[in-house]
Amino acid sequence: MKVLNTRLITPRLCGLLLLIALPLVSLLGLMTGPVFIPLADILSMTLSGDSGNSQEKLIIEIIRLPRVVLSLLVGALLAICGALLQGLFRNPLADPALIGVSAGASVGASLVIVFGSMLTANGLLLGLSAISVGAFAGAIITSVIIFRLATGPQGTSVATMLLAGIAISALAGAATNTLSYLADNDMLRRISLWQMGNLQGASWDRVGLCAVTAGFLGLLIPREAGALNAMLLGESEARHLGVNVEWLKRRLIIYSALGVAISVAVAGVIAFVGLMVPHLIRLLVGPNHRALLPLSALAGAILLVAADALARVVIAPAELPVGVVTALLGAPFFLWLLVVQRRRS
Amino acid sequence: MLKIVSVGLTISAVPLLNNITIDCPRGSVTALMGPNGAGKTSLLKVISGEHRASQGRVEINRQSREDWKPAEIAQFMAVLPQSSTLEFAFTSEEVVSLGRTPHATGTVRDAEIITAALARVDASYLAQRSFVQLSGGEKQRVQLARVLAQIWDHCESESECEAPTDGILLLDEPSAAFDLAHQLMLIDIVQQISACGVTVVMVMHDLNLAAKCADQMVFMNCGHCTAVGTVTELLTPELIKKVFSVDAQVMTHPLQGTPMVVV
Repeated sequence: MKVLNTRLITPRLCGLLLLIALPLVSLLGLMTGPVFIPLADILSMTLSGDSGNSQEKLIIEIIRLPRVVLSLLVGALLAICGALLQGLFRNPLADPALIGVSAGASVGASLVIVFGSMLTANGLLLGLSAISVGAFAGAIITSVIIFRLATGPQGTSVATMLLAGIAISALAGAATNTLSYLADNDMLRRISLWQMGNLQGASWDRVGLCAVTAGFLGLLIPREAGALNAMLLGESEARHLGVNVEWLKRRLIIYSALGVAISVAVAGVIAFVGLMVPHLIRLLVGPNHRALLPLSALAGAILLVAADALARVVIAPAELPVGVVTALLGAPFFLWLLVVQRRRS
Repeated sequence: MLKIVSVGLTISAVPLLNNITIDCPRGSVTALMGPNGAGKTSLLKVISGEHRASQGRVEINRQSREDWKPAEIAQFMAVLPQSSTLEFAFTSEEVVSLGRTPHATGTVRDAEIITAALARVDASYLAQRSFVQLSGGEKQRVQLARVLAQIWDHCESESECEAPTDGILLLDEPSAAFDLAHQLMLIDIVQQISACGVTVVMVMHDLNLAAKCADQMVFMNCGHCTAVGTVTELLTPELIKKVFSVDAQVMTHPLQGTPMVVV
């Protein structure tokens, strides 16, 4: 009999490749920027602790290292949450925008940008600007509204959630547009730049916040892999396999809303990572969540660090918003994979 | 093992089931039959716990259905739905492995069971194939292997003592997509696992196929239970006319002696 294996590589090989790529890409992220820092200098800085060049040391410690680490964490969070949501909705094209997180965050951020000039003056909370706090609040509020709308006496309907998410996102979009209309030129620029996502505001405080979130979710999410696999068969099939589907849905929605809200708060809306990375990994190694979840996190981290490094050099000394780069970089690669996959099958 | 006691089900003010009482002893095979919309699938869903009975109760192993936790019941009860909507490119082997979700028997034992379950439904050659690319009948065979894998410990007579409860298997039109050979394979599987103590309840449309393996037949119509009895009791021209509105002749199988419906 003819055996057709539709997988491109094994999960183990994929993990190995990603684990090799991760430090390499991170080093690249540390080297590149308006000021190029040679690899030798970075290595001597980390190995011997002393460096001949104190300016380079400052750039690495204060600017580049937190930024690279933040990119790693945000990329991992976005990708793993995307994988969760695609499993929950049983739709490989679901993305965090579906539960209203991105749209809600935009409203929150725009509100602060337009009306909150008095707030931004007095300081930061946990290293977050008022804009980030607004974005986080907006993200959480919209996802709670959507979740409530979709939850009735029979439990949470994933289909209703999808529709409610689209409607609430449209509503939030209208609110953001109204705010943009009211905004002056400077505010307008800030709103649209924020919506393209950027990692310029990286600081160790933000890294800490993201690391705690990522650590927390990184411990909890992989435990759901088996249940998520069963969910792909259908909700009733998962129930017959002993999964408490209602509680699972609640947990997954909380995890993904939290993960995406935190990453949106520190880095703005970075499209593509949450949608494409899990999809891409699925094309490579198949839909088993035991492999998909960790590999997505790794690949998301790598993609965002690489994209951010590119964002800093393409039009140096200016910077492109990283969301633009993730789309420019990932979309063609994704299309290529789709074509390859079609030819093989 | 499984008792359905005066069960009624009403959803959105539409009565779907009315006062259904069926007793399925350990190791029995019950065939639910009747015209479309008779309530067969609804009854199966009440047993599987997807719908909560509006009246009456379902007892599993002398305990009310409601008192069982989903994780407990999944250890010994498996459900094969009419059709599957899996759109993710799992291999057939992975789909079958999902049947082991409720168990913590370890990867070695699970791999043995998965291989054996695939072989049992004549689907070993599909193991590495992507599930989404299979034909309807192949998909249903792989899904059958999945539910068999879920209650595998109850389907082998030698491991009977290990399992604290006997298995239950609910099948909703399992043979609809099967070719003739695989319809007979299904009958063989049902007979074999029921001999090991698994209680089987299945929705079927093919009277002759059901007659080959059912210990008990249930004729349903418009949410009511029209008749319950053995195959010979129920397969009569009068009852078939009453339930299905079809004029049929009942003959005896020349070799097996079972009743045979000819239309």
